[in-house]
Amino acid sequence: MTPAEDLSPNAARRAPATGMRRLGRRFLSCQELAPLIAVIVLFIIFEIFSGEIGFFTSLGETGLMSSVAAMTSPVGLVALGVTALMISGEFDLSVSATFALGPAIMGWILREWEWPILVCVFAGLFIVSIIGLINGLITTFIGVPSFIVTLGTLFAVTSWNRIILGGFPVLLSKEQRAGGIGNVLGGDIPNTPFAAPFVWMLGFGIILALVMRRTQYGNWTHAAGSLGGGVARAMGVPVRRVKLTNFVLAALLAGLAGILQFANFGSSSVASGDDLNLTAIVAVVIGGTSLFGAKGTVIGSMLGALILGTLKIGLVVVKVPPEYYLGLVGVLLILSAGLNARVEIIRRGGIKSTLFG
Amino acid sequence: MNDGNRTPAAETSTPAAETSTPAAETSTPAAGARTPAAATRTPVVELKDVSRRFGKNYAVRNASLSIYPGEVVGLVGDNGAGKSTIVKIISGYIAPTSGSIEVNGEPVKFTSPRQAREAGIETVYQDLAIVNEMSLWRNFFLGQELFRHVLGIRVLRVREMAKICDEHLAEIGLTSVRSSRQNAATLSGGERQSLAISRAIHFESRLLLLDEPLAALSVRETRRVLEAIEAVKRKNLGVLYIDHNMDRVLPAADRIAIMHRGSISRIVRKGDLSVSELAEAVASSGTESHGEGGSEVGDGGGGNGGGR
Repeated sequence: MTPAEDLSPNAARRAPATGMRRLGRRFLSCQELAPLIAVIVLFIIFEIFSGEIGFFTSLGETGLMSSVAAMTSPVGLVALGVTALMISGEFDLSVSATFALGPAIMGWILREWEWPILVCVFAGLFIVSIIGLINGLITTFIGVPSFIVTLGTLFAVTSWNRIILGGFPVLLSKEQRAGGIGNVLGGDIPNTPFAAPFVWMLGFGIILALVMRRTQYGNWTHAAGSLGGGVARAMGVPVRRVKLTNFVLAALLAGLAGILQFANFGSSSVASGDDLNLTAIVAVVIGGTSLFGAKGTVIGSMLGALILGTLKIGLVVVKVPPEYYLGLVGVLLILSAGLNARVEIIRRGGIKSTLFG
Repeated sequence: MNDGNRTPAAETSTPAAETSTPAAETSTPAAGARTPAAATRTPVVELKDVSRRFGKNYAVRNASLSIYPGEVVGLVGDNGAGKSTIVKIISGYIAPTSGSIEVNGEPVKFTSPRQAREAGIETVYQDLAIVNEMSLWRNFFLGQELFRHVLGIRVLRVREMAKICDEHLAEIGLTSVRSSRQNAATLSGGERQSLAISRAIHFESRLLLLDEPLAALSVRETRRVLEAIEAVKRKNLGVLYIDHNMDRVLPAADRIAIMHRGSISRIVRKGDLSVSELAEAVASSGTESHGEGGSEVGDGGGGNGGGR
């Protein structure tokens, strides 16, 4: 802390806060607010420009919301783990590869060894967890920045996917998809626009949000992300273990997301989850999680994923050529990061934070 | 934190020659120094011939020091004298290469800061005391949260912790703070230190380790932190107060250990030497002078900032 930084926010705080101001501050301090507003605004825009009220937000089984949910769930589920990891101050670029690895392992074992499907699922999850563990061990014990480590594992795992799959996708038969386990993982939920992966995402999202806010582990995750975990370590928090767990969690959820999509689609190839490493991180950032750690919300990340899904489907609805999608995501990313920075400045009483200043 | 002595090279960079064998009769020799009044009591923490080597260089060489309950010991020395290494050894970051540490008369070997904390050693670092992004109560209980088990998960007892933290905030007189649910980023430097210090009282620590607690603080803030140290003393905790500036240690310390090139060259009791003699003692230990007035000095430890 520099002296200037110390004193000024203090002075601002001592000024008596009026009711309006206090309300405004509480409003601003809710990190999920901005992405929530963005979702609502997008819904309204697409509703109006789709030419028919109720067309975009129709909740029928084949309505557009079902496409939005289908676009949202893989990104959202991957973003959950990435959020926890980013709050603890680390990064995972390899999630798109682990996303494809989960179903690759599962499908390969199913095809070659014909193990029961549930066992194959757990085998896939086990292997992706090991990828997360490797990411974490190299980062926390050898000290290679996670950005580099996970870029390396991104390549390595992508390569491994190609070796396993050899250009052919793994497949699930109709019976396998319709069977109990296949249905629980990827089936459509009757009378709703949602498929199972969306519910999995919501379930894990709510659990993880509670864990982050209300448990010791969540507390430690936040602390581990501040100042490289220095304070946390001094306070006796096992920073390495916390980061390691979050690496495993990120990989595990990415692998699970891949398996759920596999169960939903019935096939999975090397190319599945191709740009997920980037879109998941975009969702997390749009959701208000800081790239510098210690700050972020799980719910925000799910909203971020929902924004991306809405945008992707909505653009088609309003007949914007799909080529514009990526560009818009880029603009949105920069806008939301900028907005977060401004909100942070306002919250700190007009002083630029060292993070963004 | 002065990171100078992390690199062994810094140890050799102090220009002055080793001229510092204490001449004054009033000063107690470093090894086996004991306050007569405290001779019958067990020190909260005792270092016995502790050395720490990095390669061929000694960051700390044969340092012996005891801190008694209710006593503030100042540890003064120039950047690179080995103060930070001593802090890291006591707080469990690094293990000594030789020598032993005793806590309440029992030998300990720390392999992590967590173990040191469990043994009752609370360290307050100048810039690593508080997590900015977290609320005050979360900071207060960080690493020692109150929780209940729900399905094997450690669920925080939020209300209870917030209440306890509120009480401590009132006790240390942080009147400008509205509630413990407030973000810690809003605290001033002195308030951070005070909060971190009050944490030591709450968790019934034995030793409070302060690493340059007054660096970059205003006069008023300095007073606040000194009061907090007094309160800790009254609760019979031992305090080890590290600073490179004698002026800042003087108002708080009962005894002052002077470090030079990794060794504790002398330990003086407050009142044994006048201020000018003390300054002389530090200077003769090879310490360069650091601006007058102490409390306003803003050099706040060279290498911070970079982490943010």
